Amino acid sequence: MTVDQLIGAGVLAATLRLATPILLAALGGVVSERAGVVNIALEGCMLVGAFFGVVAADQSHSVVVALVAAMAVGAGLAAIHAVAAIHLRSDQIVSGMALNILALGLTSYLDYQFYGTTGTPSDLAGVPDIEIAPLAAVPFIGDVIAHQNAIVWAGLALVVLIQVFLFRTVPGLRLRAVGEHPRAAETVGIAVRQTRYWAVIASGMLAALGGAYLSLSVAHSFTDGMTGGRGFIGLAAMIFGRWTPVGALVASLIFGYGTALSFSLQGASIGDVRVPVQLLSTLPYVLTILAVAGFVGRSRPPAADGLPYETEGHA
Amino acid sequence: MPVASVIFALAIGAIFVLLSGHDPIAAYVDLFRGAFGSPYDITETLIQTIPLVLAGLAVAVAFRTGLFNIGAESQLLIGAVAAGAVGARFADLPGFLLFPMVLAAGIGAGAGWAAIAGYLKAARGVNEVITTIMQNYIVVFVMHWLLQNGPMTAPNALGTPASAPIGAGAVLPIIIPNELVPLTRLHAGIFLAIAAVVVFWFLLWRTPLGYELRAVGLGARAAAQAGIDPRTRTVIAMAIAGGFAGMAGMIQVTGVFHRVFDGFSSGYGFDAIAVALLGKNSPIGIALAALLFGAFARGGSIMQANAGVSAQLVSVIEAVVLFVIAAELIVRVLTARRRARKPLEAIA
Repeated sequence: MTVDQLIGAGVLAATLRLATPILLAALGGVVSERAGVVNIALEGCMLVGAFFGVVAADQSHSVVVALVAAMAVGAGLAAIHAVAAIHLRSDQIVSGMALNILALGLTSYLDYQFYGTTGTPSDLAGVPDIEIAPLAAVPFIGDVIAHQNAIVWAGLALVVLIQVFLFRTVPGLRLRAVGEHPRAAETVGIAVRQTRYWAVIASGMLAALGGAYLSLSVAHSFTDGMTGGRGFIGLAAMIFGRWTPVGALVASLIFGYGTALSFSLQGASIGDVRVPVQLLSTLPYVLTILAVAGFVGRSRPPAADGLPYETEGHA
Repeated sequence: MPVASVIFALAIGAIFVLLSGHDPIAAYVDLFRGAFGSPYDITETLIQTIPLVLAGLAVAVAFRTGLFNIGAESQLLIGAVAAGAVGARFADLPGFLLFPMVLAAGIGAGAGWAAIAGYLKAARGVNEVITTIMQNYIVVFVMHWLLQNGPMTAPNALGTPASAPIGAGAVLPIIIPNELVPLTRLHAGIFLAIAAVVVFWFLLWRTPLGYELRAVGLGARAAAQAGIDPRTRTVIAMAIAGGFAGMAGMIQVTGVFHRVFDGFSSGYGFDAIAVALLGKNSPIGIALAALLFGAFARGGSIMQANAGVSAQLVSVIEAVVLFVIAAELIVRVLTARRRARKPLEAIA
């Protein structure tokens, strides 16, 4: 094991890359839960984003069309969850899980019907990297950030945007009011259900962007179940980050670092013992459990999180 | 109501078949024939049903206690790993010693693994949904290691990383004579599954512990007021749940595969969520729902081979069933317009 394997520029660059999909899911979780809706369908939204991003890229040969399509389908799946959670007052966990299974089944089904067993086309339009020429020559920093993907930067920008939106604007205050005390919010004229719909739909779009990042920026292909639980890890990052965008970023970077380590330590040995690659791969998942176990008591979810809201006199 | 949701789901599934350019009627006929078309097909359907029953019970015990156990898949897998390890390590022991050891290993491993999620919920307030989902991924990678280049790796002819076979003493016998149904693989695990359903019923509705678990499930605060500590019951409920799922894995090892291999479960633990919800967390309901999904699993693979419609259609149908149950209101509004509303049972 060397210092380079632990904190080298390669590891840090990989940390940013690997944190991005988790971050986007976590941001989706923040927006949705701040408005009072638990959306564990984020994993499914990511998966449909990944798949339909590839389909649209294949059909249109345009990255922009692909990303728009991915986010539209993610919004659609999230909208189904919104109807179930907000209008039908379903159990939000069960509805979310159902949509996750639906997303997995649907994308695997369509993957087979569209592309058979040969896999998705190899000439997909991919999301480009952003080359920051002046930085490229700077040692270390250049290696970390000079060649990152456009969606990595988009994710970082969204952290700032959503942080400012939630905590420095009136609509953001309203959204949080809906998640903390919907009755009080309604009393002052805020449309509770409408706000929740938009929040859930936005969360689906964010997660789908994370999914499209996986298929169009990283893998340049789609494989069944390729999101591998990143939507769920995103929810853990949201909790760990105390339901704030900046907190979610920090948490996502920690998970990203855990994953980056699991790659860079492949073949490494501690003393004489070679660390098995597969056991290193469990690192992000173990880290998630530990992080949530250590932090859940100390961070508080929005007061009305997960509770359906019934207009008075309507029940 | 469960029947209505299945019919609704089949209709949605038909739309997808139609959209992908196939004949839905033909696909469903193939599905049904594949599941029940011959005595052999029926025994194959039952083989799929057995692990679904047990994993369904694993989800249902947790539901009854107000917990959502999404980890039946990894509890099943770890039960299979433990059963496979013990069965192979002590392969020379006679059956009357080896089988109980393998059974205990499977149940114990599943129970211990699931109890971690229960403990984290009880002691640290960690949502069991997150823990059990993460556990699912962890076990998959641990199995990769164990079977690809770890302590359980053994040379084999399967073309996939696998463990050494278990001892003959631990193998569950085939229960139908070859003359009656040629080549059938239906094994004595079906009796274990039936016994587990009875145990589930007896435990929950005929013992003090079962009463306490259900009390916690209906309202943790009220239960605590009545002197039932929800935290200990949470750990116990998860352990029991894991025991059922571990037994499912153990039966797959002793009854079907006689060893553990990479990619061992075809998602029984996830199908189990639909089984438990569709079966309303009741013993008979779970058995019937497991039979339905067992038929889907068996029939789906035949449908894929014959009609060229991906067997994944089955997971689409399953998800719609789940969603409709979650959004129970849709069906209730469609069937009986103004019946009194009642909250979805025992899901917190």
